[in-house]
Amino acid sequence: MNEPKSVLIIDDDILYVKAIQTLLESSGYKVRSASNSRDGIELAKALQPDLILLDVMMSERTEGFFVLQELRRIPALSRTPVIVLSSIYSEEPIFRVDPEAGWLPANLFLAKPVDPARLLTEAERLTSGSLEEKGAPAAGRKQV
Amino acid sequence: MKILKLAKENLDFFVAVLPAFGEVYAPIRRGKGFVFERPSRWSDVQMNYTRTMLPPKKLMLPPRETTFSFDPEKGFQDRLAEASKPMVLFGVHSYDIYGLNILDRVFAQAKYPDPYYIARRKNTAIIGVDFVPDDKHLASSMNADFVDSGFDLFLSDIGDSYLVLVGTSRGDDMVVMSNCLMQAPTEADFNEYKNRSKVRRDSYKVHLALEDLPEILEMEYHSEVWDEMGKRCLSCGSCSMVCPTCYCFDVNDEVEFGSRKGERIRSWDSCLLRTHALVAGGENFRGARSSRVKFRYYHKQRGFVAEYGRPSCVGCGRSVDVCPAEINIISVIQSIRGDRDGITGSTPASV
Repeated sequence: MNEPKSVLIIDDDILYVKAIQTLLESSGYKVRSASNSRDGIELAKALQPDLILLDVMMSERTEGFFVLQELRRIPALSRTPVIVLSSIYSEEPIFRVDPEAGWLPANLFLAKPVDPARLLTEAERLTSGSLEEKGAPAAGRKQV
Repeated sequence: MKILKLAKENLDFFVAVLPAFGEVYAPIRRGKGFVFERPSRWSDVQMNYTRTMLPPKKLMLPPRETTFSFDPEKGFQDRLAEASKPMVLFGVHSYDIYGLNILDRVFAQAKYPDPYYIARRKNTAIIGVDFVPDDKHLASSMNADFVDSGFDLFLSDIGDSYLVLVGTSRGDDMVVMSNCLMQAPTEADFNEYKNRSKVRRDSYKVHLALEDLPEILEMEYHSEVWDEMGKRCLSCGSCSMVCPTCYCFDVNDEVEFGSRKGERIRSWDSCLLRTHALVAGGENFRGARSSRVKFRYYHKQRGFVAEYGRPSCVGCGRSVDVCPAEINIISVIQSIRGDRDGITGSTPASV
Protein backbone atom coordinates (compact mmCIF):
# COMPACT_ATOMS: atom_id res chain seq x y z
CA MET A 1 0.00 0.00 0.00
CA ASN A 2 1.30 3.46 -0.91
CA GLU A 3 2.27 5.95 1.81
CA PRO A 4 -0.29 8.75 2.04
CA LYS A 5 0.90 12.00 0.49
CA SER A 6 1.79 14.68 2.99
CA VAL A 7 0.54 18.24 2.92
CA LEU A 8 1.74 21.16 5.03
CA ILE A 9 -0.63 24.11 5.52
CA ILE A 10 0.95 27.42 6.57
CA ASP A 11 -1.87 29.75 7.54
CA ASP A 12 -2.76 31.80 10.61
CA ASP A 13 -6.51 31.33 10.18
CA ILE A 14 -7.10 28.37 12.51
CA LEU A 15 -10.68 27.72 11.41
CA TYR A 16 -9.71 27.79 7.76
CA VAL A 17 -6.84 25.40 8.45
CA LYS A 18 -9.22 23.01 10.22
CA ALA A 19 -11.64 23.05 7.30
CA ILE A 20 -8.93 22.42 4.69
CA GLN A 21 -7.28 19.81 6.89
CA THR A 22 -10.58 17.90 7.23
CA LEU A 23 -11.13 18.09 3.49
CA LEU A 24 -7.66 16.79 2.65
CA GLU A 25 -7.60 14.10 5.34
CA SER A 26 -10.93 12.75 4.13
CA SER A 27 -9.26 12.32 0.76
CA GLY A 28 -6.36 10.34 2.21
CA TYR A 29 -3.73 13.02 2.74
CA LYS A 30 -1.59 13.26 5.85
CA VAL A 31 -1.86 16.88 6.93
CA ARG A 32 0.24 19.03 9.26
CA SER A 33 -0.11 22.74 9.80
CA ALA A 34 1.72 25.78 11.12
CA SER A 35 0.07 29.04 12.11
CA ASN A 36 3.04 31.31 11.46
CA SER A 37 5.76 31.61 8.89
CA ARG A 38 8.69 30.73 11.16
CA ASP A 39 7.09 27.46 12.35
CA GLY A 40 5.97 26.79 8.79
CA ILE A 41 9.47 27.01 7.37
CA GLU A 42 10.91 24.85 10.16
CA LEU A 43 8.17 22.25 9.71
CA ALA A 44 8.67 22.26 5.95
CA LYS A 45 12.39 21.60 6.44
CA ALA A 46 11.69 18.76 8.87
CA LEU A 47 8.80 17.11 7.01
CA GLN A 48 9.71 17.80 3.40
CA PRO A 49 6.03 17.48 2.47
CA ASP A 50 4.69 16.50 -0.95
CA LEU A 51 2.68 19.73 -1.12
CA ILE A 52 2.58 23.06 0.73
CA LEU A 53 -0.52 25.24 0.97
CA LEU A 54 0.58 28.75 1.82
CA ASP A 55 -1.37 31.77 2.99
CA VAL A 56 -0.09 35.28 2.16
CA MET A 57 -1.55 37.72 4.68
CA MET A 58 -0.45 36.52 8.08
CA SER A 59 1.08 38.81 10.71
CA GLU A 60 2.16 40.99 7.76
CA ARG A 61 0.16 41.34 4.60
CA THR A 62 2.96 40.19 2.28
CA GLU A 63 4.41 37.59 4.65
CA GLY A 64 3.57 34.57 2.52
CA PHE A 65 5.48 36.00 -0.44
CA PHE A 66 8.62 36.20 1.71
CA VAL A 67 8.02 32.69 3.07
CA LEU A 68 7.82 31.41 -0.47
CA GLN A 69 11.18 32.99 -1.30
CA GLU A 70 12.72 31.42 1.76
CA LEU A 71 11.28 28.00 0.94
CA ARG A 72 12.72 28.22 -2.56
CA ARG A 73 16.17 28.98 -1.17
CA ILE A 74 16.20 25.68 0.75
CA PRO A 75 17.58 23.11 -1.71
CA ALA A 76 15.33 20.29 -0.45
CA LEU A 77 12.25 22.48 -0.91
CA SER A 78 13.19 24.38 -4.03
CA ARG A 79 10.95 22.19 -6.19
CA THR A 80 8.27 21.25 -3.66
CA PRO A 81 4.85 22.07 -5.11
CA VAL A 82 3.32 25.12 -3.45
CA ILE A 83 -0.23 26.38 -3.82
CA VAL A 84 -0.68 29.93 -2.60
CA LEU A 85 -4.16 30.39 -1.14
CA SER A 86 -5.06 33.97 -0.44
CA SER A 87 -7.73 36.61 -0.46
CA ILE A 88 -5.12 39.31 -1.02
CA TYR A 89 -6.66 40.44 -4.29
CA SER A 90 -10.09 40.94 -2.76
CA GLU A 91 -8.89 42.40 0.54
CA GLU A 92 -6.15 44.59 -0.96
CA PRO A 93 -7.62 45.73 -4.26
CA ILE A 94 -4.68 48.07 -4.93
CA PHE A 95 -2.51 44.99 -5.37
CA ARG A 96 -3.41 43.88 -8.86
CA VAL A 97 -0.09 42.40 -10.01
CA ASP A 98 -1.11 39.26 -11.87
CA PRO A 99 0.01 36.10 -9.99
CA GLU A 100 0.42 34.48 -13.39
CA ALA A 101 2.90 37.16 -14.50
CA GLY A 102 5.85 35.02 -13.46
CA TRP A 103 7.00 36.78 -10.31
CA LEU A 104 5.48 34.29 -7.85
CA PRO A 105 7.59 31.12 -7.54
CA ALA A 106 4.54 29.02 -6.67
CA ASN A 107 2.99 26.30 -8.78
CA LEU A 108 -0.46 27.75 -8.45
CA PHE A 109 -2.36 30.68 -6.99
CA LEU A 110 -5.92 30.08 -5.79
CA ALA A 111 -8.10 32.84 -4.45
CA LYS A 112 -9.84 32.30 -1.11
CA PRO A 113 -12.49 31.08 -0.61
CA VAL A 114 -11.23 28.14 -2.58
CA ASP A 115 -13.48 25.65 -4.35
CA PRO A 116 -12.93 22.33 -2.47
CA ALA A 117 -13.23 20.21 -5.61
CA ARG A 118 -10.67 22.39 -7.40
CA LEU A 119 -8.30 22.20 -4.46
CA LEU A 120 -8.51 18.39 -4.37
CA THR A 121 -7.95 18.18 -8.12
CA GLU A 122 -4.90 20.43 -7.96
CA ALA A 123 -3.53 18.65 -4.88
CA GLU A 124 -3.84 15.33 -6.69
CA ARG A 125 -2.16 16.74 -9.81
CA LEU A 126 0.70 18.35 -7.92
CA THR A 127 1.46 15.38 -5.68
CA SER A 128 1.66 12.90 -8.54
CA GLY A 129 3.35 12.79 -11.91
CA SER A 130 6.48 14.48 -13.17
CA LEU A 131 7.76 17.95 -12.43
CA GLU A 132 6.76 19.02 -15.93
CA GLU A 133 3.16 17.97 -15.33
CA LYS A 134 3.15 19.88 -12.05
CA GLY A 135 4.17 23.06 -13.74
CA ALA A 136 7.55 23.74 -12.14
CA PRO A 137 7.63 26.93 -10.10
CA ALA A 138 8.88 30.09 -11.73
CA ALA A 139 11.83 30.56 -9.42
CA GLY A 140 13.85 32.66 -11.82
CA ARG A 141 13.51 36.14 -13.17
CA LYS A 142 10.62 37.16 -15.31
CA GLN A 143 11.12 38.54 -18.77
CA VAL A 144 8.51 41.23 -19.16
CA MET B 1 14.25 59.91 -17.36
CA LYS B 2 10.80 58.61 -16.44
CA ILE B 3 9.55 59.80 -13.03
CA LEU B 4 6.72 58.12 -11.13
CA LYS B 5 5.30 58.02 -7.65
CA LEU B 6 4.84 55.08 -5.28
CA ALA B 7 2.76 55.39 -2.11
CA LYS B 8 4.75 54.30 0.96
CA GLU B 9 1.87 52.11 2.08
CA ASN B 10 2.35 50.03 -1.08
CA LEU B 11 6.09 49.62 -0.85
CA ASP B 12 5.72 46.14 0.68
CA PHE B 13 3.73 45.04 -2.37
CA PHE B 14 6.36 46.46 -4.67
CA VAL B 15 9.14 44.61 -2.85
CA ALA B 16 7.09 41.41 -2.95
CA VAL B 17 7.30 41.28 -6.75
CA LEU B 18 11.02 42.09 -6.94
CA PRO B 19 12.14 38.44 -6.62
CA ALA B 20 11.07 38.12 -10.25
CA PHE B 21 14.30 40.00 -10.97
CA GLY B 22 16.60 38.11 -8.61
CA GLU B 23 17.29 37.39 -4.96
CA VAL B 24 16.43 40.50 -3.00
CA TYR B 25 18.97 42.03 -0.60
CA ALA B 26 17.95 44.98 1.53
CA PRO B 27 19.20 46.85 4.59
CA ILE B 28 18.14 45.02 7.73
CA ARG B 29 19.13 45.57 11.34
CA ARG B 30 21.92 43.44 12.79
CA GLY B 31 22.82 44.25 16.39
CA LYS B 32 23.46 47.97 16.63
CA GLY B 33 24.13 48.31 12.91
CA PHE B 34 22.67 47.49 9.53
CA VAL B 35 23.62 44.95 6.87
CA PHE B 36 22.55 44.17 3.33
CA GLU B 37 20.87 40.81 3.73
CA ARG B 38 17.90 38.86 2.42
CA PRO B 39 14.88 39.99 4.43
CA SER B 40 12.60 37.26 5.74
CA ARG B 41 9.64 39.63 5.99
CA TRP B 42 8.87 43.19 4.95
CA SER B 43 9.21 44.56 8.50
CA ASP B 44 12.88 43.48 8.46
CA VAL B 45 13.63 46.09 5.79
CA GLN B 46 14.95 49.36 7.21
CA MET B 47 14.21 52.29 4.95
CA ASN B 48 15.73 54.91 7.28
CA TYR B 49 19.09 53.38 8.03
CA THR B 50 22.24 55.44 8.44
CA ARG B 51 24.77 53.19 6.71
CA THR B 52 25.35 49.47 6.50
CA MET B 53 28.41 48.00 8.21
CA LEU B 54 29.75 46.72 4.90
CA PRO B 55 28.97 48.39 1.59
CA PRO B 56 27.22 46.55 -1.26
CA LYS B 57 30.72 45.90 -2.59
CA LYS B 58 30.51 42.67 -0.57
CA LEU B 59 27.98 41.31 -3.06
CA MET B 60 29.90 42.33 -6.19
CA LEU B 61 33.34 41.42 -4.91
CA PRO B 62 32.75 38.93 -2.08
CA PRO B 63 35.20 38.98 0.84
CA ARG B 64 36.26 35.49 -0.17
CA GLU B 65 35.32 33.69 -3.36
CA THR B 66 36.41 30.70 -5.37
CA THR B 67 37.00 31.89 -8.90
CA PHE B 68 37.75 28.48 -10.38
CA SER B 69 38.70 24.94 -9.50
CA PHE B 70 41.32 22.79 -11.17
CA ASP B 71 41.69 19.06 -11.46
CA PRO B 72 44.18 17.09 -13.58
CA GLU B 73 41.32 14.86 -14.75
CA LYS B 74 38.41 17.30 -15.11
CA GLY B 75 40.51 20.31 -16.05
CA PHE B 76 39.55 23.89 -15.29
CA GLN B 77 36.05 24.84 -14.12
CA ASP B 78 35.16 28.46 -13.60
CA ARG B 79 32.41 29.66 -11.24
CA LEU B 80 30.87 32.20 -13.56
CA ALA B 81 27.46 30.55 -13.40
CA GLU B 82 27.31 31.18 -9.64
CA ALA B 83 28.45 34.76 -10.14
CA SER B 84 25.70 35.30 -12.73
CA LYS B 85 22.88 34.61 -10.29
CA PRO B 86 20.41 37.51 -10.54
CA MET B 87 20.15 39.78 -7.50
CA VAL B 88 18.20 42.88 -6.57
CA LEU B 89 19.86 45.31 -4.20
CA PHE B 90 17.08 47.32 -2.63
CA GLY B 91 17.60 50.48 -0.58
CA VAL B 92 21.09 51.52 -1.66
CA HIS B 93 22.23 55.04 -0.74
CA SER B 94 23.62 57.37 -3.39
CA TYR B 95 27.23 57.17 -2.13
CA ASP B 96 27.17 53.37 -2.33
CA ILE B 97 25.83 53.55 -5.87
CA TYR B 98 28.66 55.95 -6.61
CA GLY B 99 31.04 53.46 -5.00
CA LEU B 100 29.86 50.75 -7.37
CA ASN B 101 30.22 53.13 -10.31
CA ILE B 102 33.84 53.68 -9.24
CA LEU B 103 34.46 49.94 -8.92
CA ASP B 104 33.08 49.59 -12.46
CA ARG B 105 35.95 51.71 -13.70
CA VAL B 106 38.44 49.39 -12.09
CA PHE B 107 36.85 46.01 -12.76
CA ALA B 108 34.66 46.50 -15.82
CA GLN B 109 36.11 49.36 -17.83
CA ALA B 110 39.82 48.91 -17.23
CA LYS B 111 42.41 47.17 -19.35
CA TYR B 112 41.76 43.78 -17.76
CA PRO B 113 38.01 43.37 -17.21
CA ASP B 114 37.09 41.04 -14.37
CA PRO B 115 34.51 38.49 -15.60
CA TYR B 116 33.27 37.65 -12.08
CA TYR B 117 32.63 41.24 -11.12
CA ILE B 118 31.04 41.98 -14.49
CA ALA B 119 28.76 38.92 -14.24
CA ARG B 120 27.49 40.03 -10.83
CA ARG B 121 27.13 43.66 -11.79
CA LYS B 122 25.25 42.90 -14.99
CA ASN B 123 22.85 40.59 -13.20
CA THR B 124 22.20 42.87 -10.24
CA ALA B 125 19.41 45.39 -10.21
CA ILE B 126 20.01 48.40 -8.00
CA ILE B 127 17.16 50.25 -6.32
CA GLY B 128 18.42 53.36 -4.58
CA VAL B 129 16.82 55.26 -1.74
CA ASP B 130 17.69 58.68 -0.37
CA PHE B 131 18.87 59.26 3.19
CA VAL B 132 19.21 61.90 5.84
CA PRO B 133 22.91 62.47 6.57
CA ASP B 134 24.23 62.01 10.09
CA ASP B 135 27.32 63.64 11.60
CA LYS B 136 29.67 61.22 9.79
CA HIS B 137 28.33 61.39 6.26
CA LEU B 138 30.39 63.57 3.95
CA ALA B 139 28.88 62.49 0.65
CA SER B 140 28.10 66.06 -0.37
CA SER B 141 31.78 67.00 -0.09
CA MET B 142 32.59 64.05 -2.33
CA ASN B 143 29.84 64.90 -4.84
CA ALA B 144 28.20 61.58 -4.05
CA ASP B 145 25.00 62.78 -2.41
CA PHE B 146 23.16 62.48 -5.70
CA VAL B 147 23.59 60.00 -8.53
CA ASP B 148 22.26 60.17 -12.06
CA SER B 149 23.41 56.72 -13.16
CA GLY B 150 24.17 53.31 -11.75
CA PHE B 151 20.66 52.51 -10.54
CA ASP B 152 17.61 50.88 -12.08
CA LEU B 153 15.20 52.75 -9.85
CA PHE B 154 15.81 55.45 -7.25
CA LEU B 155 13.28 56.27 -4.53
CA SER B 156 13.19 59.71 -2.95
CA ASP B 157 11.06 60.34 0.11
CA ILE B 158 8.39 63.00 -0.49
CA GLY B 159 6.25 62.40 2.59
CA ASP B 160 3.51 59.83 2.08
CA SER B 161 5.11 58.62 -1.15
CA TYR B 162 8.39 58.08 -2.91
CA LEU B 163 9.28 59.79 -6.13
CA VAL B 164 10.60 57.00 -8.35
CA LEU B 165 13.30 57.75 -10.92
CA VAL B 166 13.52 55.07 -13.59
CA GLY B 167 17.16 54.72 -14.63
CA THR B 168 17.28 51.68 -16.93
CA SER B 169 15.11 49.43 -19.06
CA ARG B 170 15.31 46.83 -16.29
CA GLY B 171 13.92 49.45 -13.94
CA ASP B 172 11.20 50.07 -16.48
CA ASP B 173 10.43 46.32 -16.49
CA MET B 174 9.96 46.53 -12.72
CA VAL B 175 7.60 49.43 -13.20
CA VAL B 176 5.66 47.55 -15.88
CA MET B 177 5.32 44.49 -13.65
CA SER B 178 4.11 46.54 -10.68
CA ASN B 179 2.49 49.27 -12.66
CA CYS B 180 -0.76 49.17 -10.72
CA LEU B 181 1.22 50.40 -7.71
CA MET B 182 2.75 53.42 -9.44
CA GLN B 183 1.12 56.76 -10.11
CA ALA B 184 1.99 59.87 -12.09
CA PRO B 185 3.53 62.54 -9.84
CA THR B 186 1.99 65.98 -9.52
CA GLU B 187 3.52 69.45 -9.51
CA ALA B 188 3.14 69.43 -5.71
CA ASP B 189 5.19 66.20 -5.54
CA PHE B 190 8.01 67.82 -7.53
CA ASN B 191 7.96 70.83 -5.23
CA GLU B 192 8.09 68.57 -2.19
CA TYR B 193 11.04 66.73 -3.74
CA LYS B 194 12.89 70.02 -4.28
CA ASN B 195 12.18 71.20 -0.74
CA ARG B 196 13.37 67.97 0.83
CA SER B 197 16.40 67.87 -1.42
CA LYS B 198 17.46 71.27 -0.13
CA VAL B 199 16.87 70.30 3.49
CA ARG B 200 18.95 67.18 2.95
CA ARG B 201 21.80 69.13 1.38
CA ASP B 202 21.73 71.64 4.21
CA SER B 203 21.78 68.97 6.89
CA TYR B 204 25.33 67.78 6.21
CA LYS B 205 27.40 68.50 9.28
CA VAL B 206 30.76 67.75 7.70
CA HIS B 207 32.09 69.85 4.84
CA LEU B 208 35.50 69.16 3.32
CA ALA B 209 37.33 71.38 0.86
CA LEU B 210 38.83 69.05 -1.70
CA GLU B 211 39.53 71.32 -4.66
CA ASP B 212 43.29 71.65 -4.16
CA LEU B 213 43.79 68.49 -2.13
CA PRO B 214 45.89 66.63 -4.74
CA GLU B 215 48.28 69.60 -4.82
CA ILE B 216 48.41 69.84 -1.03
CA LEU B 217 49.16 66.13 -0.86
CA GLU B 218 51.98 66.69 -3.37
CA MET B 219 53.43 69.38 -1.11
CA GLU B 220 53.02 67.33 2.06
CA TYR B 221 54.54 64.08 0.83
CA HIS B 222 57.33 64.27 3.43
CA SER B 223 55.17 65.77 6.16
CA GLU B 224 55.65 64.50 9.69
CA VAL B 225 51.87 64.14 9.80
CA TRP B 226 52.29 60.73 8.17
CA ASP B 227 54.72 59.59 10.86
CA GLU B 228 52.29 60.68 13.54
CA MET B 229 49.41 58.93 11.78
CA GLY B 230 51.63 55.85 11.46
CA LYS B 231 52.22 55.80 15.21
CA ARG B 232 48.49 55.73 15.85
CA CYS B 233 47.44 53.34 13.09
CA LEU B 234 46.89 49.80 14.37
CA SER B 235 47.18 48.30 10.86
CA CYS B 236 43.88 46.50 11.41
CA GLY B 237 42.65 47.22 7.88
CA SER B 238 39.12 48.03 9.09
CA CYS B 239 39.01 51.21 7.00
CA SER B 240 39.63 49.23 3.82
CA MET B 241 37.21 46.45 4.68
CA VAL B 242 34.29 48.86 5.16
CA CYS B 243 35.23 51.13 2.26
CA PRO B 244 32.89 50.98 -0.76
CA THR B 245 35.77 51.63 -3.15
CA CYS B 246 38.76 49.78 -1.68
CA TYR B 247 39.30 46.84 -3.96
CA CYS B 248 42.69 45.28 -3.19
CA PHE B 249 42.50 41.52 -3.17
CA ASP B 250 44.84 38.61 -2.70
CA VAL B 251 44.82 35.41 -4.73
CA ASN B 252 45.80 32.01 -3.36
CA ASP B 253 45.65 28.52 -4.76
CA GLU B 254 44.43 26.04 -2.19
CA VAL B 255 45.56 22.59 -3.27
CA GLU B 256 44.28 19.39 -1.69
CA PHE B 257 46.88 17.39 0.19
CA GLY B 258 48.23 14.48 -1.83
CA SER B 259 46.67 15.57 -5.09
CA ARG B 260 46.89 18.24 -7.73
CA LYS B 261 43.25 19.26 -7.35
CA GLY B 262 42.47 22.61 -5.90
CA GLU B 263 40.74 25.95 -6.05
CA ARG B 264 41.81 29.47 -6.73
CA ILE B 265 40.59 31.74 -3.97
CA ARG B 266 40.30 35.49 -4.13
CA SER B 267 39.97 37.32 -0.82
CA TRP B 268 39.95 40.93 0.29
CA ASP B 269 43.27 42.47 1.18
CA SER B 270 44.16 45.87 2.58
CA CYS B 271 47.06 48.18 1.91
CA LEU B 272 47.10 48.87 5.66
CA LEU B 273 48.03 45.30 6.50
CA ARG B 274 51.71 44.64 7.19
CA THR B 275 51.94 41.89 4.59
CA HIS B 276 50.37 43.87 1.77
CA ALA B 277 53.65 44.84 0.11
CA LEU B 278 55.67 41.90 1.38
CA VAL B 279 57.25 39.96 -1.45
CA ALA B 280 59.29 36.77 -1.82
CA GLY B 281 62.67 37.06 -0.16
CA GLY B 282 61.24 39.01 2.75
CA GLU B 283 61.40 42.50 1.25
CA ASN B 284 58.53 44.71 2.35
CA PHE B 285 58.09 47.84 0.26
CA ARG B 286 55.80 49.41 2.82
CA GLY B 287 57.08 48.03 6.04
CA ALA B 288 56.43 51.20 8.01
CA ARG B 289 52.87 51.84 9.12
CA SER B 290 53.23 55.49 8.21
CA SER B 291 53.98 54.57 4.61
CA ARG B 292 50.89 52.39 4.45
CA VAL B 293 48.59 55.07 5.89
CA LYS B 294 50.09 57.57 3.48
CA PHE B 295 49.68 55.25 0.52
CA ARG B 296 45.98 54.76 1.22
CA TYR B 297 45.25 58.49 1.24
CA TYR B 298 47.46 59.22 -1.76
CA HIS B 299 45.78 56.50 -3.76
CA LYS B 300 42.27 57.67 -2.89
CA GLN B 301 42.73 61.40 -2.98
CA ARG B 302 45.52 61.91 -5.47
CA GLY B 303 46.09 58.81 -7.61
CA PHE B 304 42.42 58.36 -8.35
CA VAL B 305 42.00 62.02 -9.22
CA ALA B 306 44.86 61.77 -11.73
CA GLU B 307 43.50 58.55 -13.22
CA TYR B 308 39.74 59.09 -13.15
CA GLY B 309 39.22 62.76 -12.43
CA ARG B 310 37.73 62.36 -8.94
CA PRO B 311 38.76 60.97 -5.56
CA SER B 312 37.61 57.45 -4.83
CA CYS B 313 36.21 58.42 -1.43
CA VAL B 314 32.40 58.71 -1.62
CA GLY B 315 31.83 60.10 1.86
CA CYS B 316 29.89 57.19 3.35
CA GLY B 317 31.42 57.81 6.79
CA ARG B 318 32.17 54.13 7.43
CA SER B 319 35.88 54.63 8.10
CA VAL B 320 34.99 57.52 10.40
CA ASP B 321 32.77 55.05 12.20
CA VAL B 322 35.11 52.09 12.51
CA CYS B 323 38.72 53.29 12.87
CA PRO B 324 39.76 52.52 16.47
CA ALA B 325 42.54 55.13 16.20
CA GLU B 326 40.20 57.78 14.78
CA ILE B 327 42.24 58.15 11.63
CA ASN B 328 39.90 59.06 8.83
CA ILE B 329 39.48 61.32 5.85
CA ILE B 330 38.38 64.18 8.07
CA SER B 331 41.29 64.02 10.51
CA VAL B 332 43.82 63.39 7.72
CA ILE B 333 42.72 66.35 5.63
CA GLN B 334 42.60 68.55 8.68
CA SER B 335 46.15 67.54 9.58
CA ILE B 336 47.76 67.99 6.21
CA ARG B 337 46.06 71.33 5.82
CA GLY B 338 47.84 72.37 8.97
CA ASP B 339 45.16 72.08 11.60
CA ARG B 340 46.93 70.13 14.32
CA ASP B 341 43.69 69.22 16.06
CA GLY B 342 43.22 66.58 13.40
CA ILE B 343 45.99 64.55 14.98
CA THR B 344 44.06 64.24 18.23
CA GLY B 345 41.26 62.50 16.45
CA SER B 346 38.46 64.90 17.15
CA THR B 347 35.78 64.89 14.49
CA PRO B 348 35.37 68.44 13.27
CA ALA B 349 32.16 69.88 11.99
CA SER B 350 33.86 71.66 9.14
CA VAL B 351 37.31 71.38 7.60
